[in-house]
Amino acid sequence: MPKDISISDQESQQELEKLRQIILGQDNQLITDAVNKKARGIVSDVITEAFHDRQKKDDSIKKVLLPIVENSVEHSVTHHSDRLISSLYPLMGSLVRKSVGAFLTNFIEKTNQLIEHSFTIKGLKWRFKAWQAGVSFTQYVVSQTYNYRVEHIFLIHQETGLLLKAVNLDQQSQNDAELISSMLTAINDFVGDSFQLDENGVKEQLQTVSTDSFNLLIKPGPSAIIVAAVTGTPPQAVNEQLQLTLEEVHHLYQQEFNQFNGDNALFENVDTQLNDCLLTEEKPEKASNQKKPWFAWLMIVLAILFAGFKTLNWYQLNTLHQQIMAIDHEAGIVVKNLDVHSKHLISLDLMRDPNALSVQNWFELQQIPFENVVLKERRFYSLSPVIIKQRVDKLSANFPDLNFDWLHEELILTGNIDFIKYQQLTAKLETLGINPSEVNRQNLTIMSSDVLAQSNTINQQIFKDLVGKISTIQLSFTSGDDQVNQAMESDLLQLKQQFLYLSSLANKLNKKVGLIIMGSSDNTGNTSMNNALSLKRAENTAIALTKLGLDREQIFVTGLGQINIKDVKNTARKVMFNIIYIDDTAT
Amino acid sequence: MIQKKICLLGASSVGKTSLVKQFVEGIFNEKYLTSIGVKVDKKVVNVAQQAVQLMLWDIEGYDRYNVFQDKYLRGAAAYIIVVDQTRSTSLIEGLEIHSLAQKANNVPAILAINKSDLQANWHLEDSKTIQYQTLFNAHFNTSAKNGSNVEEMFQAIAALTLQEQ
Ligand SMILES: Nc1nc2c(ncn2[C@@H]2O[C@H](COP(=O)(O)OP(=O)(O)O)[C@@H](O)[C@H]2O)c(=O)[nH]1
Ligand SMILES: [Mg+2]
Repeated sequence: MPKDISISDQESQQELEKLRQIILGQDNQLITDAVNKKARGIVSDVITEAFHDRQKKDDSIKKVLLPIVENSVEHSVTHHSDRLISSLYPLMGSLVRKSVGAFLTNFIEKTNQLIEHSFTIKGLKWRFKAWQAGVSFTQYVVSQTYNYRVEHIFLIHQETGLLLKAVNLDQQSQNDAELISSMLTAINDFVGDSFQLDENGVKEQLQTVSTDSFNLLIKPGPSAIIVAAVTGTPPQAVNEQLQLTLEEVHHLYQQEFNQFNGDNALFENVDTQLNDCLLTEEKPEKASNQKKPWFAWLMIVLAILFAGFKTLNWYQLNTLHQQIMAIDHEAGIVVKNLDVHSKHLISLDLMRDPNALSVQNWFELQQIPFENVVLKERRFYSLSPVIIKQRVDKLSANFPDLNFDWLHEELILTGNIDFIKYQQLTAKLETLGINPSEVNRQNLTIMSSDVLAQSNTINQQIFKDLVGKISTIQLSFTSGDDQVNQAMESDLLQLKQQFLYLSSLANKLNKKVGLIIMGSSDNTGNTSMNNALSLKRAENTAIALTKLGLDREQIFVTGLGQINIKDVKNTARKVMFNIIYIDDTAT
Repeated sequence: MIQKKICLLGASSVGKTSLVKQFVEGIFNEKYLTSIGVKVDKKVVNVAQQAVQLMLWDIEGYDRYNVFQDKYLRGAAAYIIVVDQTRSTSLIEGLEIHSLAQKANNVPAILAINKSDLQANWHLEDSKTIQYQTLFNAHFNTSAKNGSNVEEMFQAIAALTLQEQ
């Protein structure tokens, strides 16, 4: 203990020396100038000692010097601020400049926690709000409620680190305040020791310990340390208040400090002074804070309503989607893509047969508003029976003499038709998607055209067309079979009509015509058998045609046997037709 | 309430931290011991109907420069030198620290001969070591493991600090 006192004595001596230099000038120049020249020598010899002795005796030097010092310091601050700041700065900024390691953070966290625990019902409310806002509790307190808030003030005995008195903003006793005080002192000792003396010989001390949202302000005095635990960023005013209070406490409790033996009962009433330091600054817009829960509840209600609306909307859109999608079942319409973004934005991409119901009509029929539909329509040729029937209906207008009837999917033609018209009709039916061979023509009579009425060139052209058409007809046989069957009937019927027409044209054009029927076979079995089979196929075809009314005299039958062409030789079971025609003039 | 600062000193691994742990339940992380070389815990004991709050400073024996950390001794009302009865070197080190501590802060001191639950390697009552008894205000054979004499020792040191006033 004696050692410590002498150390702090030394320190104050050093400080006094510095002050002297600033105030009195180098070698007390200012003082000596002010004194009588004769006295100068005498006084200068003893002045230092005299000051010391007198101060020791009745403490009066301090009283005398204090106003002078204050004035001088004030003067210095205005005129030599650089000098002052450079000697004060190491004290102030020590912690900022030098990191004391992770334990400080841990320490703050610990204290933080304690502060958090110290909140009562108010704390719970804040906790809820912090949770609502999704930030940490401390952060919330700092950012939403206060610019800063001094939570605790500790008055700590400098020498022992024992807590003399603690006051709290929320009138609640702080159980661990003694421990925090001691630890703080220990840390302060540690920091002071680590930093050693600075170039001015002043021991650095911890002044602040800070995290983002929390600050410990530490003001050391000769007998006691005052520590403020502050949430938020304290302004300079807090520092000043701490300094004032520290000085006041030292002034009032000098006696008690000297007597202190660990019993903090001596400092029971110091809270009067310490309470001055429990400064807070609330954010001005506190009123809006109170509205916050309402706002939050409103948001929640809105969110629920919004979700409900969304669900309903989704359901409605889904239903609409299904309704519109039904257009896909409409004949001659194929939906490629449908997006129901909203009731007011529907994009529909489809393919539509020109004969199909128009999209707009369909929407009108379904009573779905069409004006919100962005339609992308492409044409296509539908083979849907409904559409084919519609097409045939349209076509039938061109053939007023014929009846077009439907038995299920089968088209029945009734009436009399000129051959050329019949040719046009079959060609048309084919383009409409109807195979002419599937048309029921039993009640259809095809009459020879009045070929004479046509010009030679036209007849010549029709003649060549017919020759070509006849040669495209082929009958297919199954393996080993030579019988003309039902499936070949319509081809043969067509052939018969074409050949009859051809014959009449040939007459007109002075030509002689004959029908050549060629049978073929695949290469299974031996050659002679195949020759015979192919011939038999051709002959049977000829018989069938004669039955239909062709003149056997005009038909030549031949069997080609196997067709030794690489790609067809295995499947060439056919009967083919060709026309031989000879110009009469050539004979 | 009366509070007293008590320091625990001694070579490393003698059981200082364990003794405090046996005696109190603290709030601070052991990390402080390694980072700043000290951890403070507290415990209230009653001495003749007088409550005393002990602030127990558990101090790591030596810092990394092998210098005794006398700064933490400042303001202590008493201290405990802890030694390990299974290691005679711990007694030598403890005595060394004791003499340094006396120079820094001449206050009452107690010798805690710890790990009494283990086989002893030396005895304070031995002719060679009996003289060291006089250097301390009291001595206790303690065990941080089974708690033997721990309460008594802290009780005694509390009483010592009150006598000293
Ligand atoms: N058996 C036994 N082991 C102990 C006792 N006290 C401490 N120890 C062990 O000794 C080791 C060092 O103890 P610690 O308290 O860290 O010593 P410190 O360095 O002096 O703080 C640990 O493994 C403890 O479990 C004791 O009384 N009995
Ligand atoms: Mg330890």
